[in-house]
Amino acid sequence: MVRLAVAVGRLTGLASRLIGRGGTAVPGLVAERLDRSLIEHLASGLSDGVVIVTGTNGKTTTTKMLVAILESAGKRVLTNPAGSNLARGVATALITAFRRGAVQADLAVFEIDEAAVRALGARLTPRLIVVTNLARDQLDRYGELDTTAGHVAAAIEHAAAVVLNADDPMVAGLCGARAAAWFGAVDAIRSTMPDDRSLYGEPMTPSGPAPDSVLLSSVREGDGQVAVVRIGGSEVTVHLAVPGAYNGYNLAAALLAASILGVHPGAAVGALEAMQPAFGRGQVVPYRGRRVKLLLVKNPAGLNQAIRLLSDDVEPAQVLIAINDGHADGRDVSWLWDAGLEELAGSSHRFGAGGVRCADMALRFKYAGIMAWSEPDFAVALDRVVDGAAEGETVYVVPTYTAMLRFLELLQPGVKRPEAWS
Amino acid sequence: MNPLVIVHLYGREMNIYGDTGNVLALRRRLEWRGMAVRVDRVGVGDDYDLRRADIVVTGGGEDSAQMAIAGDLADRGPNVHLAVGDGVVFLTVCGTYQLFCRRFVTAAGQEIPGIGVFDAETIGGGTRMIGNIVVDSPWGRLVGFENHSGRTMLAAGQRSLGRVAKGFGNNHSTSEEGAITGSCFGTYLHGSVLPKNPAFADELLRRALVRRGTATALIPLDDRVEAAAAAAAAARP
Repeated sequence: MVRLAVAVGRLTGLASRLIGRGGTAVPGLVAERLDRSLIEHLASGLSDGVVIVTGTNGKTTTTKMLVAILESAGKRVLTNPAGSNLARGVATALITAFRRGAVQADLAVFEIDEAAVRALGARLTPRLIVVTNLARDQLDRYGELDTTAGHVAAAIEHAAAVVLNADDPMVAGLCGARAAAWFGAVDAIRSTMPDDRSLYGEPMTPSGPAPDSVLLSSVREGDGQVAVVRIGGSEVTVHLAVPGAYNGYNLAAALLAASILGVHPGAAVGALEAMQPAFGRGQVVPYRGRRVKLLLVKNPAGLNQAIRLLSDDVEPAQVLIAINDGHADGRDVSWLWDAGLEELAGSSHRFGAGGVRCADMALRFKYAGIMAWSEPDFAVALDRVVDGAAEGETVYVVPTYTAMLRFLELLQPGVKRPEAWS
Repeated sequence: MNPLVIVHLYGREMNIYGDTGNVLALRRRLEWRGMAVRVDRVGVGDDYDLRRADIVVTGGGEDSAQMAIAGDLADRGPNVHLAVGDGVVFLTVCGTYQLFCRRFVTAAGQEIPGIGVFDAETIGGGTRMIGNIVVDSPWGRLVGFENHSGRTMLAAGQRSLGRVAKGFGNNHSTSEEGAITGSCFGTYLHGSVLPKNPAFADELLRRALVRRGTATALIPLDDRVEAAAAAAAAARP
């Protein structure tokens, strides 16, 4: 039955690609229909088990970092494309790697959506779960943050080991009395990373025990940063292509997870330095002689991270924040009022509002005391932000998920995108 | 003139999805008119006579947050009634709107008493009411986003905020949205509601100034950005 389900799923994926649709979800969806325990069967054949990465922000980049480290250590690693992080995406990844009667990998590292992690945690019985952070996110889709935390807490019970964020009170409260490995940052960095509760006046204090993997510093370098992490008694310095202290946290998490999986952090540096940003997460795309830097945002915590990056960039730049309200973005745009746009009020950047809900973004700019233009057409908005910059300069495009897909179609016409949301 | 005092009540707990935007909208619309304003944050356990406020703004929250403030609000109930009776302007959104009604009965049948400023009650559970919502009110079309499962039923004689033109409002059946008692307003609209609905925001300010006895007509502001945002939201599912 497993073989039949796999074969049918793969054929469906082939057909789906032939008719011009993406193939990331359909094969898994079809195969799962034929064999309800397909995921369990296929995953149980992985000799080194399954690792799950979940949380509100940072899943994709942390997963990518961990995969890079493990591959550099000679492991054959199976992973799912960013965004295909529900059961069908996991099933598709497994059947795509199924050959000669087995999944051709030593272990899998799956990014899993918080709403799907309860069920998938039980089905995959992972060797390790990494929880990046938990903050309010698309409440019309996910429901309450407490509910999401409940899903993650339930998933953790099925994991042999857990890696948790010691600086996030929602995450630190997840594991009860069980043993966990912790990552975090020094006070100087932690104090710049407000958690969900501190956005509204709660004091920010370390939430978990002293971390095993500590981000000591994060200093901007080109489009990326130099990050230093203390782990296992030694300091590891990594020149990352991705910017921001939040990616420093992702690094601390990935190094800790890797060390639990038996890869020494010092051996991981080369692979991490070669890693390019994931789809839209600090990705730089050349366009009409300018450099368009994409900073995907999905929720207030993510937008605040983008705001921090923008306010740290002292060179005057053109900035377009583009808000869509599709299902994948969250239909409710109220979250714009939870983000601290006021931090950009004194900046020398020039701002524009784009996307289907550009009018809401323009209104948010207005009440933050920021002058901004507004343009709903994606092509016109992109040209406008690019025209405002000189040859060779960097412009920032800060889109929600489906807005990012529209911009990438314009920036890289004809480029197939395997990482479609499913 | 002494600054107009806006109290942000339970801002720590009841802040789900943009409720702080309401405080910002009132504040900016005073500042843009050259009027002084002060925002006081009042939370659980804080000793504060709400009659000293001109406008009290309070928002929605998760179930756990609602439970965390319910006791404090019950203690504060008599003072809230005095303040409402004294003409203090209140804006209560979603979770606090429900607690300003007589009672909330959860899907499991558990009863959470409210403070009864609004003669209404809310029954939890059932199909969630989610989406952009348009309401016809005495202050024009109000546009926002609703996301609640509680169905609020107004008693006969309890005035509503307006009639639903699109979306759900208080419940699935009556086409009513929100409630008004004196100058205390309850609504399910977030979005945030006040930035997108400047006429409603100005009505809250006007009532506060009338109570102060300093009623002058509010200087008109350029609200084209506000109107565009409201129109865009009203056109979305």
